[in-house]
Amino acid sequence: MQVVALVSGGKDSSFNMVKCVENGHEIVALAHIHPPADGEKDELDSFMYQTVGSNGIKLIAECLELPLYLQETKGNAISQTLEYSKTENDETEDLFTLLSKVKEHHPEVSAVSVGAIFSRYQSNRVQNVCDRLGLQMLAYLWQRDQKELLHEMVVEGIDAVLIKVATMGLGKDDLGKSLAQMEQKLLDLDQKYGVHVCGEGGEFESFTLDSPMYKKRIVLDEVEVVTHSDDAFSPVLYLHIKKAHTEPK
Amino acid sequence: MVNFTVDQIRGLMDKVANIRNMSVIAHVDHGKSTLTDSLVAKAGIISSARAGETRFTDTRQDEQDRCITIKSTAISMYFELDAEQMEDIADKTHGNGFLVNLIDSPGHVDFSSEVTAALRVTDGALVVVDTISGVSVQTETVLRQALTELIKPVVMINKVDRALLELMLPKEDLYQTFCRVVENVNVSIATYQDEGAMGNLMVSPELGTVAFGSGLHAWGFTLRQFAARYSKKFGIDRNKLMKKLWGENFFNAKTKKWSSKSSDEMATYNDRGFNMFCLDPIYKIFDATMNGRKADALELVDKLSVSLTTEERELADKPLLKVIMRKFLPAAEALMEMICIHLPSPIKAQGYRCGGLYEGPADDECAVGIRNCDPKGPLMLYVSKMVPTSDKGRFYAFGRVFSGTVASGMKVRIQGPNYVPGKKDDLNVKSIQRTILMMGRYIEPIEDCPAGNILGLVGVDQYLLKSGTLTTSETAHNMKVMKFSVSPVVQVAVDVKNHQDLPKLVEGLKRLSKSDPCVLCYTSDTGEHIVAGAGELHLEICLKDLEEDHAQVPLKTGNPVVGYRETIQAESSFVALSKSPNKHNRINMTAQPVDEELTKLVEDGKITPRDDFKERGRRLAEEFGWDVNDARKIWCFGPETKGPNFLVDVTKGVQYLNEIKDHCVAGFQWATQEGPCSEEPMRGCRFNITDVTLHADSIHRGASQINSTLRRVVYASAMIARPGLQEPIYLVEIQCPENAMGGIYGVLNRRRGHVFAEEQRPGTPLYNIKAYLPVSESFGFTADLRSATGGQAFPQSIFDHWQLMSGACNEPGKVFDTVTALRVRKGLTAELPPLDRFLDKL
Repeated sequence: MQVVALVSGGKDSSFNMVKCVENGHEIVALAHIHPPADGEKDELDSFMYQTVGSNGIKLIAECLELPLYLQETKGNAISQTLEYSKTENDETEDLFTLLSKVKEHHPEVSAVSVGAIFSRYQSNRVQNVCDRLGLQMLAYLWQRDQKELLHEMVVEGIDAVLIKVATMGLGKDDLGKSLAQMEQKLLDLDQKYGVHVCGEGGEFESFTLDSPMYKKRIVLDEVEVVTHSDDAFSPVLYLHIKKAHTEPK
Repeated sequence: MVNFTVDQIRGLMDKVANIRNMSVIAHVDHGKSTLTDSLVAKAGIISSARAGETRFTDTRQDEQDRCITIKSTAISMYFELDAEQMEDIADKTHGNGFLVNLIDSPGHVDFSSEVTAALRVTDGALVVVDTISGVSVQTETVLRQALTELIKPVVMINKVDRALLELMLPKEDLYQTFCRVVENVNVSIATYQDEGAMGNLMVSPELGTVAFGSGLHAWGFTLRQFAARYSKKFGIDRNKLMKKLWGENFFNAKTKKWSSKSSDEMATYNDRGFNMFCLDPIYKIFDATMNGRKADALELVDKLSVSLTTEERELADKPLLKVIMRKFLPAAEALMEMICIHLPSPIKAQGYRCGGLYEGPADDECAVGIRNCDPKGPLMLYVSKMVPTSDKGRFYAFGRVFSGTVASGMKVRIQGPNYVPGKKDDLNVKSIQRTILMMGRYIEPIEDCPAGNILGLVGVDQYLLKSGTLTTSETAHNMKVMKFSVSPVVQVAVDVKNHQDLPKLVEGLKRLSKSDPCVLCYTSDTGEHIVAGAGELHLEICLKDLEEDHAQVPLKTGNPVVGYRETIQAESSFVALSKSPNKHNRINMTAQPVDEELTKLVEDGKITPRDDFKERGRRLAEEFGWDVNDARKIWCFGPETKGPNFLVDVTKGVQYLNEIKDHCVAGFQWATQEGPCSEEPMRGCRFNITDVTLHADSIHRGASQINSTLRRVVYASAMIARPGLQEPIYLVEIQCPENAMGGIYGVLNRRRGHVFAEEQRPGTPLYNIKAYLPVSESFGFTADLRSATGGQAFPQSIFDHWQLMSGACNEPGKVFDTVTALRVRKGLTAELPPLDRFLDKL
């Protein structure tokens, strides 16, 4: 099948693309939801989308050598129930607009690659949009054991760095560290505080610098640590990518 | 001394009806150890192999140097009663030989935790009271501890020789002194006894539960002995005569008649029965020997049919007095008789103690085994403390078998204090390497040990921190955890002098923590090693042990510091809100102070998280004015799930709320363990969850999101509820002569102490002062007091209560300064964290 991949920039969407290819599908386009371009903040605290690192998405498209389709979101979650039905102005409708646009340009696309693992809230919404557009959802990571999955990503060469932290036990020093560097610490934190090691509860977000599918790799030249909220025990911090470039592998 | 082979001792252990497990308890310096010595000299069991070696008493060098007991020691004794004495034992017995397991415990308040550990494994207590000082603060404390553990007391009024030789009290005054002691003991008993379980526990000389004597001179008597002596002479029944020998009973020497009035027409010849028949011979002996009338003395001796050897007849003055008294009224005879007759056997005691010992239901197999003291029941063994072995770093587990029989090599379930039936936490299934008899500082291996006995175990020390339950039953609950009357309020930081010794210090701290029931060793967030103890002396002994025995490396210690409690003094000024890190979950909370009385009830274990929630709810509503619906919805106590702070759910119809309860409970424990202002534990605070907004998908409201959010909202609501500090206060009791009082008042005033009671001890020139003194001002207090009074005043300090300091943590003042000092010491920023680190806006 020909597939459009939803990319957030994070490890899960990148790894699911790898899985799609392994299963004989062909990725023909990338789709991404981004925060308002004139916005001052990278982080919208959206219920649906990873917005940190959004300004690096063009580099990912460059590495994958695939066309990229963009759609802006305001990050308004109007319907906050677990199940979803079409709601005007909800952030989920931004996804509908985006995928409709992709379908227009690529009528041959029949499936969507999604990196969801455990969030039923998110997968329900993607499913709803796919159903309305007659697309199939490909989520190979769905309900996988998180510890196994994290290890598999590290072994199979997903080089992603932490770009946002939002949980007890993770802090400023952990930003910019790779999954391989963080694996043990995440396992410890799981023991200690019940942190989901793949960050499914929103504990952290990542940005993929390299993957087996990348033709080039990304180098971050200049980043800035932004404090989103200075909580006493679980400060929320993220990296704003100021300058980055790609280089041949 | 009695010589027995181990097999013979093992034989005695099967006759449970003839076992008496008892502890000796008293105020410091009332003469427990000396008294115990005289008992051991007479009846102590020593295994044949050891006979001839030195005796066992206070075993540590520092105990001898300081003349105080620091660690409790167990000693087994054997005593046979004659047929006449056997008549007085109400319960079934098994022959006339008795095995008495005696535990000598420390008297200094700082070591009360040792007393608690001793009381748990015994059924009876010999309370020793000094004739002259009378019932003191620690006497009351240990009595209270004994009564809460359902332990039957008998009393020994000690140091009578001093009353005679130093104070020269006339007979009637001495009688009155005795009466006062007995009364005071009974007042304490009446206050603390649990009527239902054990019946009347009041002690009285005419029942034979009070003995008089001198441990130092090794003489003593109960009325029973004098009654036995005179009953033949007068032909009156012994028990009737005993009643005549105490109280308002007077004998007329002329008419040979008893009367209940001290003055009638023949008044001049009337004398109180006790004075005439008990004290008179004693006074005569003292008078004759101490005033150099040796011939009179020897005549008396013959009249009383006391036989002296030729050498003994050569003695004079005090040595002669001692020998005569010891032969006339041997202390060991009187006390052993009293112990065997009046203290309960394990079978009897466990019948009523079971409910207080066992956490599980009263009808499961373990409870039944305990109640019947059944050697064939499932094993229930409580380890009450750890005793260091000669092998560094290893410990014998010291405890008592309450049900079943424990044997070497047996596979048992080792349940620590955090074990919950049906779960695997704090549980190990291991074999017991060896079971041993502990006799003073000697040990003897034995094959097995049936219910009702005290013993030591080898090979379980790695699996238990300080105490715990050993059982063979898979369904067994824990034995109740001991409640200590002292808390570790004084702390000190320790460090090694040479950096490479650090691992030894860490290992040493682990050992120290095991060897003392009360000491607390932990590492602070800043990496300091902290040792916390009940008082200055306790801490001093612990540090000495740490340096010399447990770590064996040179150490340096900081200044002792005091633990505080954080609290709140008002209702929070608005509803606090905190969001989870992903911003998709919100908790609203208010805080309000808890009644001090209720706080105390929780700390004393009178109101616990395990109570039936409806019953507890009713009680909170009726006694403390809680809304009954709120009172039923207490989610948890904290810190450590049993502390005096409450997390209450007052929400209405919140979806998924129960799913996050566990996370909230965990966050609450953490929050109350380290309060918002100075990271000291919180006390007396109630937190209400007023509303909660949760993400619809459970993955986004997991532990890591909720736990820290709950903690932040607790802090936020506390910070806006006038946060305050409570400091620990000692109750200090000081005995001194009148001329030293000025000095005492001076020292107390300088240290923010205040006197609330001052009275003269009747019949003595001594005054008794009671005062409250902040623990933070107590360092060097004893030494200061000695120098201010020329060494005439001896204080006993015991933690009494927490007192709110005036001021708030976030307003300039003393509290603010204390908080800042605490923060700096802990390596935190000196300023309080701003509120917005805890509080969020919608």
